Amino acid sequence: MSWFTPAIAMARIAWLRTILYLFVILDMHAFVRDTRDKGEHPGLYEPLLLARILDLPRPSVANTTVLYVVLIVACLIGATNHFPRIAGWVVAAAFTWWVLIGMSDGKVDHDHLALVIALWVLPTVGRARYGDQTRSEAAGWAIRCIQICVIATYFLSAVAKLRSAGWALTWPGSAVLTWAIVRRPHPVGEWLLHYPWILHVMQWVGIVGEFLSPVILWLRGRWQLFGALFFIGFHAANTAILLIHFLPTVVCWLAFAPLERIVPWFRSRRSDRDAREAEDQAEHGRQAEQQAGA
Amino acid sequence: MVRVGRLGRTVRVLVAVAGIGLLINGSVRATDDAWPFGPMSQYAMSVPDDAKIDYTRISAQTDAGTTVDVPLNIEGAGVARAEIEARSGEIVKDPSLLQQVADGWARKHPDQPKYVKLELIRDTTQLVKGRVEGPPASQVLATWTVTR
Repeated sequence: MSWFTPAIAMARIAWLRTILYLFVILDMHAFVRDTRDKGEHPGLYEPLLLARILDLPRPSVANTTVLYVVLIVACLIGATNHFPRIAGWVVAAAFTWWVLIGMSDGKVDHDHLALVIALWVLPTVGRARYGDQTRSEAAGWAIRCIQICVIATYFLSAVAKLRSAGWALTWPGSAVLTWAIVRRPHPVGEWLLHYPWILHVMQWVGIVGEFLSPVILWLRGRWQLFGALFFIGFHAANTAILLIHFLPTVVCWLAFAPLERIVPWFRSRRSDRDAREAEDQAEHGRQAEQQAGA
Repeated sequence: MVRVGRLGRTVRVLVAVAGIGLLINGSVRATDDAWPFGPMSQYAMSVPDDAKIDYTRISAQTDAGTTVDVPLNIEGAGVARAEIEARSGEIVKDPSLLQQVADGWARKHPDQPKYVKLELIRDTTQLVKGRVEGPPASQVLATWTVTR
């Protein structure tokens, strides 16, 4: 039970709030960026299950514009770590609706799970400061939820690969990457089309990595870092071959990072420097005395 | 260290377990409709070594006399390729749906040549033993003369 609520320093929450709320603003302009267009042309709108359950209104110019303004304001406040609960809940609900509209046109992307869940769990933690080393189980639960969703994104995509083949392992030996490159042509990918065996190796490495990804939840320190770097490399390769970046998931890897060490690290660097400067000055003083005495 | 109370811990564990349950349910049985708890099914299919790979595009004749591929993204014609692919059946039945592509382009790029005729084209690439064999074959699925 306590696995779900590890004690983690509040500072990590403060850093994640700043980074993720600012990332949401980036996301609204760079990734899920057609929500306001859909308000102007709701013709292709096909509401997803969650929108139907909540009976959300059809996107219009008025409601998507209000949503946009509310999101920007709440993200900016949330990023400063002021009013963390109010700003946090507003961002969570508003961004969920924003993405729901953005994905209600027959195409759903799978890179937003961790980010959306992160926004829903962050407001369950109270006020946090960047340097606060107080360890908290409430903070730990929020962090753990984000970590689980990051890992689930990989593990469940391996499950989906089995399911689509009728629960058989045919995906890694298939021509799926060739198919993907033909449909998203660009130079690196097109060069690789000549070497299908490289693509098969990549498919095997990808699916094995995805299946083993839950191990990362139990790794510590350097080994966990290696695990994270493997998947960040995986995204770099996907970006190079297919122009698929998955940044909304990548940014959530920071839930694994000991962000709470940033402030102490800066402080110790500064105090080291101060100490060195003090020493230098003392040294200077002695030399001056010796010269004066000579 | 700040601990959570017994109730707080129980609620948190239950919420997390319920969330994991929803995710598993989504991956095992649901479709994209269940977002954010749907299956992670992008690029999840096994493509056979002799597959035909379809790529749908829209070609436009402009009032400047040129023929161009319509940029199917938000900045281009205001509509994504995935949306066109998902609705190509509807467009074949009712080519007037292509009018909104011309309208979208004209609205976003008022100073560029206008589209006068649009063709929905499917390029089919044949795989042989997992390799691309020859250039794609093109087939016009629908044609629409733009109205103003």
